[in-house]
Amino acid sequence: MAIDILLTLLTVVFSLMVVFSKKTVVAAFSLLMTLLVIAMIYFQLGTVFLSAVQVLVNAGAIAILFVFVMMLINLEQFQNNREKSKWKLVVSTLTMLVLLGVFALVINNNIEALSVVNLTDNSMKTLFAKLFDVYYLPFEMATVLLLAAIVASIVITSHDRTEKLEEK
Amino acid sequence: MLEAAIEILLKTVVILALPLGALPLIIHVERRGAAFMQKRLGPNRVGPFGLLQPLADVAKFMFKEEVHPSHVKPFFYTAAPVVALVVALLPLACIPVAGPIEAFGRTIYPEVFRSDMGIFYAFAVSALGSYGILLAGWASNNKYSMLGALRACAQMVSYELSLSTSVVAMIFLYGTNDIHLMVSAQTGYWFGVIPQWGFFYQPVAALLFLVGIFAESNRLPFDLAEGESEIVAGYHLEYSSMKFALFFMAEYIHMIALSALFIIMFFGGYSLLPGFDLIAGNNPTLIVLLQVASLTIKIALMIWFFVWVRWTLPRFRYDQLMNLGWERLLPLGIANLIVTVLFVYFRNR
Amino acid sequence: MEFAAFIVFFLIACTLAAVLLGISSLLGQKRKAVREMDIYESGVNPVGSATRQYDIKFYVTAILFLLFDVEIVFLLPWALAYKDTTNTGFMIGGFVFFMVILLVGYIFVINSKALKWEE
Repeated sequence: MAIDILLTLLTVVFSLMVVFSKKTVVAAFSLLMTLLVIAMIYFQLGTVFLSAVQVLVNAGAIAILFVFVMMLINLEQFQNNREKSKWKLVVSTLTMLVLLGVFALVINNNIEALSVVNLTDNSMKTLFAKLFDVYYLPFEMATVLLLAAIVASIVITSHDRTEKLEEK
Repeated sequence: MLEAAIEILLKTVVILALPLGALPLIIHVERRGAAFMQKRLGPNRVGPFGLLQPLADVAKFMFKEEVHPSHVKPFFYTAAPVVALVVALLPLACIPVAGPIEAFGRTIYPEVFRSDMGIFYAFAVSALGSYGILLAGWASNNKYSMLGALRACAQMVSYELSLSTSVVAMIFLYGTNDIHLMVSAQTGYWFGVIPQWGFFYQPVAALLFLVGIFAESNRLPFDLAEGESEIVAGYHLEYSSMKFALFFMAEYIHMIALSALFIIMFFGGYSLLPGFDLIAGNNPTLIVLLQVASLTIKIALMIWFFVWVRWTLPRFRYDQLMNLGWERLLPLGIANLIVTVLFVYFRNR
Repeated sequence: MEFAAFIVFFLIACTLAAVLLGISSLLGQKRKAVREMDIYESGVNPVGSATRQYDIKFYVTAILFLLFDVEIVFLLPWALAYKDTTNTGFMIGGFVFFMVILLVGYIFVINSKALKWEE
């Protein structure tokens, strides 16, 4: 129980650091820490495979992308052109807390209706049996989605095509 | 409760102490091995056969001046070697040194962290290995370091892919990701002599994994990141004294952890070496001790292989390295996976 | 319980690293030198700042690593579930489809020479 509270607090702290820190690299590494703490939360909840995948993919690949970007463009600090207003800060925080409270209440009361997959236990065997039984199509469609992402990333970053577009 | 805590602490201390204690020995073997291959004497003055040389080095690192260059980013400069060392130590938590031990009325598993994800934990954590290098290169605020760090990270990331394809093929063959089950699937002999190791089932995957672990630990021929004659010292250029030593330690520990994974998947892990099971008989204590000894011997041979390759092969050029990873090894891994799956399917029809 | 084991291991590893750094900073001599504070560039004065443009290929490598890594992560449950299923033909069919799409993506990447590093 204490572990859960600690992990949740850490997640909140790190995600606030991502949003509010002025230095870009600090924000990127706070994102990495947020993802790692969420992986620990997944582990505590019993979905062990998801925890490993979270570290492997999210923290080990996506966060690297963010860190690469921050280091490659070498932007020291985020530009902060907002006007600071204490009233706006207070009102927005209160609204956010109220919304979070409503959200938590709704989820708490309807948790059986929300669980779509209905696993009997959290073990990897039942998860995979369900994955390749009922949810096979989304599994295959995910590959197609990844193919689209591959094509998109190469098209966006290739020089020749942008030059041809400018010539027209 | 107290018993569990003591068990965890004991296991942690032992599993951390073994590689860290072996580290000076490994460094010494590397230097003497390098000298042997280059037809010269290595360090042989400090103590018998120079065995106290690593201790002298440790003392030197401790007493050297801690340089604080003014142009580095303060927090990340100190954090980078710590991150590198911790991330290198983490995969060791899931590696068992022996089989399940029956003692005190229950089964004790000689690994610190036992969970359903088994060997996935080790691969997940070694994916975080690039961060120590990235932090170091960036925090040094130095063109050489940044370039070296970027190249090292891109290299590690590309070879992780072919490593993962070979892991998928092996997991498909074993049907499990639990390390103890994987090791017990590799016991037994063909013709009474050749052990049924994963290496003989999947030599291609073993080769891919081997190349992958050389690239992951930034060892020659893949050590362009710290290319000694090219970009001076790459990402740990601006580091001195103990911080540099921490990077050094992190590299060797990463080597040990990855060799242990390689041995678990392809060479039988802690299963007894061919002569040992005759000695062990049925005595459980003896079996456990010999399992630990087998694992140690196998890892020691792997480390010697690392040293051997380092001082034999020349370094790859960066474009050769990246093209090798993406254009030769990755399709080889995918082809190996496809062939394995189809072979198993049609054989079982 | 296992999580506690991981946390203990992690904390002891962190403490070890911190202790090593602490020892060194306590025991090392402290001198105030001038030349050691500059950026090191083989002994000459540094040229330009550390902020320069890096090749976009690094970023493309990272993105493509992410995508292929996710594909391989999708294959891991497949590999584990294969032993337990009864309908292996179904699994193989899905595998073939998956591999075809993956190979199409891979061949596109190789053909586009987006990852071709020239010397």
